[in-house]
Amino acid sequence: MAQPLTMIGAKPAPQETQSCWSCGTMRAVHFCEACGKVQPPAPVDYFAFFGLPRKLNLDAAALEKDFYQLSRKLHPDLNSQAGTQEQEWSLQQSSLLNDAHRILKDPIKRTQYLVKLEGVELEEQSKTATEQARSSGEAKKQIVPPDLLEEVFELNVQLEELRMQKKIGEDDPALIEEIGRQKLELEGKRDALLHELQGHWKMWDGMIQREQNGQPVSEEERKYLRDKMVDVLNRRNYIRNLVRDVSEVLEN
Amino acid sequence: MSYSDKVIDHYNNPRNVGSMDKSSADVGTGLVGAPECGDVMKLQIKVNRETNVIEEAKFKTFGCGSAIASSSLATEWVKGKTVDEALTIKNMDIVKELSLPPVKIHCSVLAEDAIRAAIGDWKKKQEATKPVAVEAR
Repeated sequence: MAQPLTMIGAKPAPQETQSCWSCGTMRAVHFCEACGKVQPPAPVDYFAFFGLPRKLNLDAAALEKDFYQLSRKLHPDLNSQAGTQEQEWSLQQSSLLNDAHRILKDPIKRTQYLVKLEGVELEEQSKTATEQARSSGEAKKQIVPPDLLEEVFELNVQLEELRMQKKIGEDDPALIEEIGRQKLELEGKRDALLHELQGHWKMWDGMIQREQNGQPVSEEERKYLRDKMVDVLNRRNYIRNLVRDVSEVLEN
Repeated sequence: MSYSDKVIDHYNNPRNVGSMDKSSADVGTGLVGAPECGDVMKLQIKVNRETNVIEEAKFKTFGCGSAIASSSLATEWVKGKTVDEALTIKNMDIVKELSLPPVKIHCSVLAEDAIRAAIGDWKKKQEATKPVAVEAR
């Protein structure tokens, strides 16, 4: 696509109020409500694309329904009778629709996407912190707690040992039992993190609701709740990898 | 995505894998992680007290090929350098040497972090063991 369709860091997009290129009626994001013609993709985020507020608890069934309805209307094959320009837009809109659906239907991807919209580049956190440490000469603040790193490291050492043992056909029952115990503990942590995240979703959604009701929402509150979610997402990546690796070693 | 020959070489023949005594006064240990991918890296250095030269470096990394190659290269580079020289190593130097693609830049960041953390740990130990000498300066 020629231009990025999401505006990162933008405030919640206002309702699209441009007029239809064909009949001049005020149009929706995807196609004209009046004449049904496909519209050029508007620079909106995925939430706005589905006409949703930036809330994290969403009605999954309603999202699916909207997705299938829009898929049908925007499908390039169904617009094959339209002009070349309209066909091109329908292709772009379909692709945008698929991306938006893929991200929004997954609660974790949805959260990652939201914090990005709210200005946090998850992929850049480490680099930014390192650059700060480099220029200030101070120790870099690790993004996750050091004891989590210790734990991850130690468990990986044990996993490696077990892999080696299995390779030479030896199994240490005590080690297998220990790793099995850790696996249960990790799964508990993973579930606890999800629970923690769900608590943050609730707070966030409450804030968005107040904003929708016209009440002022402070920048501090917005950032505070956002950063709480970023913190959970970061810790979750380590736990997710460990659960995956532990299961793999125990099953093989 | 395919790995560069240099990454594959370091991955297949990692240099300086291992560990040193964490409690030794001459050893600095850095344990760092990349939340982007969940990789962890431990890098240790042994420093000559008289010359401040890094005489030995060891690493252990649990992560992708690029993370392993980045830390392997980092240990090669810090050996023989003074701690101050080692602090000038930047992640982009590693990116260039290993031809890492943009999605793997965080692996090089991890290696720079590990060097800094190990040196930081060593410096802390020196201050703790030689309080008089530090004050006298």
